[in-house]
Amino acid sequence: MKKKLDIIWNAIIPNNPVLIISIGLCSTIAVSNSVQSALLMTFAFAMVQIPSNIIVSAMRKIIPNEIRVPIFVTVIAAFTTIAALISQAYFNAVYQIIKLYILLVVVNCIIIGRAEAFAYQNGIFDSFLDGVGNTIGYGLVLLTIAVVRELIGKGALAGIQILPDSYQPMLLMVLPPSGFIMIGILTGAIETYLRKKGGKK
Amino acid sequence: MKSVVKFAITLGLIAAITGFALAIVYQITKPIIEAQDLKALQQGLSEIFPGDYEFVKLDKPISSGDPSVQITESYLVKDKSTQKNVGMVARVVVPGSQAPIEMLVGIKSDGTVSGVKILKLNETAGLGANADNPKYYVDKKNKITFLGQFIGKNVEKDKLIPKEDIIAMSGATITSRAVSTGVKVAGQAIVSYLKEAGQ
Repeated sequence: MKKKLDIIWNAIIPNNPVLIISIGLCSTIAVSNSVQSALLMTFAFAMVQIPSNIIVSAMRKIIPNEIRVPIFVTVIAAFTTIAALISQAYFNAVYQIIKLYILLVVVNCIIIGRAEAFAYQNGIFDSFLDGVGNTIGYGLVLLTIAVVRELIGKGALAGIQILPDSYQPMLLMVLPPSGFIMIGILTGAIETYLRKKGGKK
Repeated sequence: MKSVVKFAITLGLIAAITGFALAIVYQITKPIIEAQDLKALQQGLSEIFPGDYEFVKLDKPISSGDPSVQITESYLVKDKSTQKNVGMVARVVVPGSQAPIEMLVGIKSDGTVSGVKILKLNETAGLGANADNPKYYVDKKNKITFLGQFIGKNVEKDKLIPKEDIIAMSGATITSRAVSTGVKVAGQAIVSYLKEAGQ
């Protein structure tokens, strides 16, 4: 049981895709300027990452090594399109804002990276857990950055005005550079934590 | 040779299965997406021309005369009781800074703007995305939104140029210019159509 929980924990902290492995940075910066966008992106990511991992793992014995990448891309593209259609039908308002990024999930390095590095080599349940862990790891980073950026950049959270009208929003926070700044701060914090725990030097 | 055939069959099979799955999801979501688009359009039309009006869609949309401004649909606005034309609404697509902006531009018979409503906008959050933000005021004192300032302007007499007679959104000059050009060009096309039609 501990081994199973480790798969999830590894994807959230010690091998966080964004902060430690430094992949998926483009989408992280693009959608993390509002809490709503971050939540919908996490939802879209989960809709693609978890089933893709399961399918790739289930078919790993019949997928020839030589054509594994086009098969991964086909499976990921199908789930991305499904996520886009479902988001458009049921969360249209937010979808209109971040549709470009939902469609770009198909080339999100985290998803293809996990299919290649984990799902293609492990069983279905472990791949499912890896998908869940990576979704939580990616989602937590998105949400943490989005809370700070939206609050300082717009004075709001999830579109609801929190700070008084007299607050002058800091425009830099809604622009991409603040995403990089936040990723830097969080990476520093997580690395410090891991070093203190003695896992890294 | 044998392995090439095997690869082709495997890839083809996987493509066929995913294609089938996509077709099913598309069939389920299509009516919901279409209903949403229609609702947004009807809501937009009645917001631009509030009152007892009927919107009659023209078979062929009017021509904008400017290749950067596309008019995809046009609606004659008729007074329900008198059946007289009181204006027209054009569904307009203009290039924004990130992606095309789709909006409805309503013009009264005398050439004044009755309203502008954005249907699709994909501009930078916090900057160009403020174009349809009902709480973003370009004139804070009088609580006038970016789109609100177009109401009452005359597409023939007014320039509709940002930083001249239109207040641009701060940090979003391209979006401000795109929307203003769309209103101006579509507005003029509507006025000349109504004049030609003798309205």
